[in-house]
Amino acid sequence: MADPDNRWNRRLFLHVPAIFLVLFFVLPLIALVILSFWQTENYKIVREWSATNYVTLATEPAYFVFFVRSLFLAIGVSIFSVAVSWPIAFFIVRHGGRYKLILSLLLAVPFLSGEVLRLISLQGMLGPTGLVNGVLLKIGSAPLRFIMYSNWATFIALVYLYLPMVVTTVYLSLLNFDFRLTSAASSCGANRFQVFCEIVWPLNLSGTIVGFLLCFIPTLSASLAPRFLGGPSGVLYGMSIAQQFGESGTWALGAAMGVVLFLFSMAVLGVFSLGIDLRRTGFTGMGRL
Amino acid sequence: MQRTTINRRSVLAAGAGAALSMPFIRPSWAQAQTVRALMWEAYVLPDVVSKFEQDNNVKFVATFFDGNSEAYNKLRVGGAKEFDLVQADGFWPQLYFREELIRSVDYAHVPSATSYLPEFKPENFKVLTDAASGAKIGYPFCWGAYGITYDAAAVEPEKTDTIACMFDPALSGRLSTSARFEENIALAALLVTDRLGSRDKPRPDGKPFNPYVLTDEELGEIQKLLVEQKALLLTRYQDNPTLFQLLQSGAVVAATEFAQVFRQLLTAKDGNPKEDFRHALKMKEGGLGWVDTWLVTSGVEDGPRLELCNRFIDRMISAEVMKRIGETAGCSTTIDLRSISSEEDRKLYLMDRSSEIADLFMFDQPSSPEKWERVWSNVQAA
Repeated sequence: MADPDNRWNRRLFLHVPAIFLVLFFVLPLIALVILSFWQTENYKIVREWSATNYVTLATEPAYFVFFVRSLFLAIGVSIFSVAVSWPIAFFIVRHGGRYKLILSLLLAVPFLSGEVLRLISLQGMLGPTGLVNGVLLKIGSAPLRFIMYSNWATFIALVYLYLPMVVTTVYLSLLNFDFRLTSAASSCGANRFQVFCEIVWPLNLSGTIVGFLLCFIPTLSASLAPRFLGGPSGVLYGMSIAQQFGESGTWALGAAMGVVLFLFSMAVLGVFSLGIDLRRTGFTGMGRL
Repeated sequence: MQRTTINRRSVLAAGAGAALSMPFIRPSWAQAQTVRALMWEAYVLPDVVSKFEQDNNVKFVATFFDGNSEAYNKLRVGGAKEFDLVQADGFWPQLYFREELIRSVDYAHVPSATSYLPEFKPENFKVLTDAASGAKIGYPFCWGAYGITYDAAAVEPEKTDTIACMFDPALSGRLSTSARFEENIALAALLVTDRLGSRDKPRPDGKPFNPYVLTDEELGEIQKLLVEQKALLLTRYQDNPTLFQLLQSGAVVAATEFAQVFRQLLTAKDGNPKEDFRHALKMKEGGLGWVDTWLVTSGVEDGPRLELCNRFIDRMISAEVMKRIGETAGCSTTIDLRSISSEEDRKLYLMDRSSEIADLFMFDQPSSPEKWERVWSNVQAA
């Protein structure tokens, strides 16, 4: 006979999270899919089943433009973040010594303030009267127009927002990496470049891919950064979705856009997960076995 | 067969669950002690609200929105029973009343209503009168326009006589508009219909010209115009503080706005030398106007709750509170404050120009939000 205490523990630790996920993740997702097949007319939901919203998304170039803009930005931001994260994470792991933990915790400092607050401060930094252009104007130089209300400004903001996530992921991966392998490779005559390309990079690829995805997925759906910094030509897909659910009241179209984004994100996750070996992500510690 | 036993752990778990859910359970007797308002955040004066709460032994709960469509969506989704009071402007109260989201009101129960400026007295201000029944459906609160605030040192005042000023390539990179799609399209509609000469032709709704009711041809031209304008804009500002900074720094020299930033610029106490900021209320093609109102939802029945709502509105439109709201939110008021205002304030808050509201096109619901959204998306994607 099963121990009642064990049964209760199992319920608590398995059923509660499962119910939470069903209530707040699965059901809203189902609602979103249903809504995407209905229509909105003059701010009212018309419960008639049709694929009109998906046809609109497929035929109206505007939404495609938003999506492509978001996609390119997400790829660019993620690649840049990975490229910047590697040296930072590598430095902390190799030279952090006993301050490794503190240095890695410092990466979380930006998260102590809200996203909107961080974006507004960045707006003040990059804007026409901000720190960068203010200094340039003071020394008699022309302001940098490309960082004022542009896709470049959004790029900088997104890197700023998600870089800590990527650094942390790569750091955790490198933390579990056995650096004796690099010494062995060097002893066998490999130069530093070869050691990196043939030992360090491939054995930390899983962690890097996880970091890339942790940056790519939220960047693809970003709505706040382009809203504050993107300027008139910086509207991204996520911002357009927010607009459908906000001022324009075209919820059904917004729901269809959300479903498309969800499916695309799932497909990307699926493709990238093929290259991920969880034992080498750095999260399990199994990479040392 | 399993036996259900009540042990100490299950009692503790049940107790904890009940305790955690208590804040979310509202007994019916507690509901009467709350006044719930769906309103613009700029109109909240914390000390006025606290005083009202103390005097009436109630709790005031405010939910904020930005644009009318957002409030309309919230009201429809939540149902009129979720709120007691709601704010709206332009012709939106008429829509709310048609859809039975708000109820009729009686000015006799709100003593401060006797102090309205002539244009906003119930017998003159027809926007808040139901045409079918003649019933009054709300109380005017603040008013304004969606005009052009400009730095006269950089923009010749004559240029702002026309909306074309906001489409002038000579001001490229120094212009800004708000991010609100309805007003961007409606303002461009005034320019386009003036150029096309289509205002006097039969309109889609069979009524006189309204920049919120447009033909497909007009919408097409508006889209072209807004795409051209996009290249001239520094940004579409999201909030007044951003526009304030842009105008004050000189990065932007002309912007469409509700005259609130204009007043903040003139009254700013930051020690910076003031530029020559001016505001064009109405251009030769026409202008957009708004009157913010207080409405009582249809969920409020006659009795104590309605009396509470009337008392709150009476407090909010009292001369003393309205003066402070004008200063805080930077808007003109519908209550006559001339006897308690300085000459400078009379000019700044357009107290002697309230009659001009009659010449402005009131904010309204777009004839087809779906078509307008498409136009706006095309502009944003171009």
